[in-house]
Amino acid sequence: MKTLRQPTLDTFGLGNVLDIFKNGKLPVNADSLVDTIFGDSSNRGAIVISGANGIVGAGKTMQLGSRLQKYNIPIIALDFPGAPDGIGMQYQGLKGSFGQKQADEIMANVIRFNYDGKKLPSQLKDFNPRFLLEAIPEILDIKKNHYKVFRETFPGIAIRSVTSGFPSSELGVGIAHPAFPHQINKMWETVEDTPSDITKLLWAVGLIPVPVSDHWSFVLDVLFCGLMSAGLRYRQASNMPYWKIDKLIRKLLGPNPFRAHDAIGAKGANFLTWSCLYHLSETYGNLFKPTFDLEYRKESGQNWYPLNHFRPVVNWTLSDDELDEMNKWILGPMIQMTSLMLHENRGHLSHINAICEICAQFRSGILATIRQLGTEKSIKLVEEYHKLDPQSASSCWYPEVFEKINDPEWQQLYVNAEHDGSVGLITINRESYNKDVDIELNCAINWLKSENIERVILSGDFHFSTQLVGADTSDFYPALEDADKGYDISLNWSTTARRLHDEFKVSVGFLNGKRCLGGMLELMMHCHYLIATNDCQVGMPEVTLPVIPGMEGCHWSFRKAKKEDWSKISDLLFTGQAVKASGAVGWLIDFAGTEEDAIKMAWKTASGDNHGLTKR
Amino acid sequence: MTSTREMFSRARIPYGTWGSSFFPAWQTSALAEVNIGQFAGEAMNRILSLRKVPTTSLDYLILGSTIPWHWKFWTAPMIASCVDHRIPGFHLEQACATGLQAVIVAASEVHSNANDVVGVLTFDRTSDSPVGVFPERRAHERTMALADVWDNLGFDPATGNAMLSCAGFAARKHKTDRREVDELTMYRYEQYFNAKDSGLLDNVLVPLEVLNVQGKPLGMIDSDKGVRKLTYDMLQVMPELDDCVTGGTQTHASDGMATLLVTTKEKAQELSSRPEIDISFVGKTEMRTYPSLMQESPAMAVQKLLKKTGLTMDDMTVVKNHNPFAVNDVIFSKLLNYDWHKINNTGCPLVWGHPQGPTLTRVIIEALEEAVALGGGYVLIFGCAAGDVGIAAILKVTDGAK
Repeated sequence: MKTLRQPTLDTFGLGNVLDIFKNGKLPVNADSLVDTIFGDSSNRGAIVISGANGIVGAGKTMQLGSRLQKYNIPIIALDFPGAPDGIGMQYQGLKGSFGQKQADEIMANVIRFNYDGKKLPSQLKDFNPRFLLEAIPEILDIKKNHYKVFRETFPGIAIRSVTSGFPSSELGVGIAHPAFPHQINKMWETVEDTPSDITKLLWAVGLIPVPVSDHWSFVLDVLFCGLMSAGLRYRQASNMPYWKIDKLIRKLLGPNPFRAHDAIGAKGANFLTWSCLYHLSETYGNLFKPTFDLEYRKESGQNWYPLNHFRPVVNWTLSDDELDEMNKWILGPMIQMTSLMLHENRGHLSHINAICEICAQFRSGILATIRQLGTEKSIKLVEEYHKLDPQSASSCWYPEVFEKINDPEWQQLYVNAEHDGSVGLITINRESYNKDVDIELNCAINWLKSENIERVILSGDFHFSTQLVGADTSDFYPALEDADKGYDISLNWSTTARRLHDEFKVSVGFLNGKRCLGGMLELMMHCHYLIATNDCQVGMPEVTLPVIPGMEGCHWSFRKAKKEDWSKISDLLFTGQAVKASGAVGWLIDFAGTEEDAIKMAWKTASGDNHGLTKR
Repeated sequence: MTSTREMFSRARIPYGTWGSSFFPAWQTSALAEVNIGQFAGEAMNRILSLRKVPTTSLDYLILGSTIPWHWKFWTAPMIASCVDHRIPGFHLEQACATGLQAVIVAASEVHSNANDVVGVLTFDRTSDSPVGVFPERRAHERTMALADVWDNLGFDPATGNAMLSCAGFAARKHKTDRREVDELTMYRYEQYFNAKDSGLLDNVLVPLEVLNVQGKPLGMIDSDKGVRKLTYDMLQVMPELDDCVTGGTQTHASDGMATLLVTTKEKAQELSSRPEIDISFVGKTEMRTYPSLMQESPAMAVQKLLKKTGLTMDDMTVVKNHNPFAVNDVIFSKLLNYDWHKINNTGCPLVWGHPQGPTLTRVIIEALEEAVALGGGYVLIFGCAAGDVGIAAILKVTDGAK
């Protein structure tokens, strides 16, 4: 078995993706993991979420409650008697997502207990707690005492902290640090000595565990709090109001750090950001030192955006020089912080990059951004930032980490390839197709060709890409002003897609997850065969934007279908409505089945085994 | 140059840390749509940013405005929040003397060691001024409603006369000639447009974009909208509203803001882009003349100030005033025996308008820029204010590099 770079599943003990196809099944399944962790159905233990009415606790009570519902695992929500009803506030959202009936069933399985922070409720024993997810305030002594109480009462209980900043070595428990918004964000940064069943269970129920190293503040918080810190420092240097910095950072990188704090709840978020930056500055120096306004607002909980009646009146229109200086203030520290994380080997490079995009809302992950800038320009940006903010020059700057920028780990952030000498696999771990994916996909195809692989499966990565939503529309912005740029995108991406058809003897597009839409479906349909799980939604929603499918979806799909099925394809194109893959067999999809059946069929088809499918 | 004492010896105005919005005529710009206090605070922040002055260096704020604005009760602390820096301060007003009085009071704050860096922020919106309702049971109307701008300009409660009538009274008393008044007005317009063309005003006036509640552009404040090039013929045919007062020889209502800093000598050197420029306070005084002769009061205030400081008009490098009526300048010229061609070289309120609170602050800023461009010297600032009051002050600009 050869891989272009390490598959991300391998970082928590699930091996490579090609073995999933070869073995005809997923490496672990939720049923057996639930039995292992919580006991079998006759003696099922409970999960306890402490601090359950908080923003994190309530969100995770809903997320885990809904995903573990069918296993009858009691969800014990533990909090102080006077805590506001954070769980009750989740109910409307739950109803919106699942309908009233299922929402009621999920809530019925949430058992609420109050406790005083010292002694656990005596009835808790009746539920046989097997796993504690701690989501209490970021105060080290209180957390440690909390674990002690639980361990004394329930020896052997597995504990994970949702902490944003404290390392596992300080807390004495493993970390499962989730990302906002907690009800729906699937990603969890995990810290543990060896991959545990709990981490694997998170993956098996459709969540995204991401192992990171055990350092102060995890990858997400270095990025999220770090970006906030960069904005605050720029504010000190420029007087620019927070709202305007927020908008310019959004334009530059994608996230709204100040709006995000207000949306999460400034009182809690300001404190968490301060806490992370404070502890980082204690370890790493002035690069992370909290600014005075964050110090103040961690106490006051004041929002960063002005109140409604004080919506800004005066705009800040920046000159090119001012914009250039702002870029240094924002990108400089972000690149420097990234050098620290790489120096400390905080995670798989694809993980760091994906956390940036999925959790911190960067349009393009920080590593992809640095890669785009190039080593020389990135280093120069940091050096110029140091001239503006000399206090940051004294600590944790490791420019040498960028020397490896041409290695596959840097170059294949979104697309990986594996092969066993005969069948190759290309995995895409980004939900939307963009220029980076396109370049990396070409590299992966080139690598497989160089390894003389003629049979290939194209698939999501069974980790980050829980769905494939289509093209990244931010890549279209240049085309809004220059039609030639739109033509170039369409031509280049279509050329890549055709390679799947023209350069392999057999290519199989494998669709699982929630949906495969737009550009991703167009890419997949260039494969000789399309194999999908039954419930995967397929469609081309371009008309709703409105744009036209530009990767040949308007004709390639017709070319492969019988004339009598053209009206179905027209429906997809003209209405933008998606259909289940099981309903598209014969005219768009070649096979749809359960996940295991689809995996097996994909392997049979790619490996040349007797699959019984007719090439369309 | 005559040697004289210093007033507020600890206080300095740091060169180049100032700025003013343009003053669009009332009802002609987006400023008619905003809370002018909020606008002024946010504009001050932007101006300080352009001048590379961190707002965090300020420790006190003195506001000057004459027309009530929304949430005025919260005074300087509220506007400081709009500047994005939470500092204390207070609000003062003295009609059209406000823009100078606020600077003098800021200097006293610094000199008395109460504060080290004091921001002066003056502003007013004449467009859509509020209407005050005053329940007064002893008055025959029982309850009085007062439109804040026009009812005030049209009626001095102490004399019963309008500002415009005062100009007529003063013109008659000093026997001003309509032809000279028109010539002076023409010259003032030429001075303004020449200064604009020279680029000197670029150091003073900052274009600002106003947003609507959705955050979309509502309008640019990038010109003294309403100022048009007049011809002598146009002025001549304008009907007199009172003696020597026509639509062309009096100012117009406008909206705007202006800001500068007052600080210590050391701090001024730190904050200024040209630390070698030293701007100090020499003296200030006020006079009140006989009823309804407001237009002569500035000249009397200047006479008093010269006497107090021992300086003469010949000592002055820059002379600049708030002249809502052209007769002000003609009367000043007669009483001080000073050629009016030497006054207001970069423009004046007669031309660019009369937003009340910030008017004299912009006059000061323009005068200081002119003095620096000329290599330094004494700067005389003066003007009239409601109640037949004249105010005058002398500043001293020294260029250490010369």
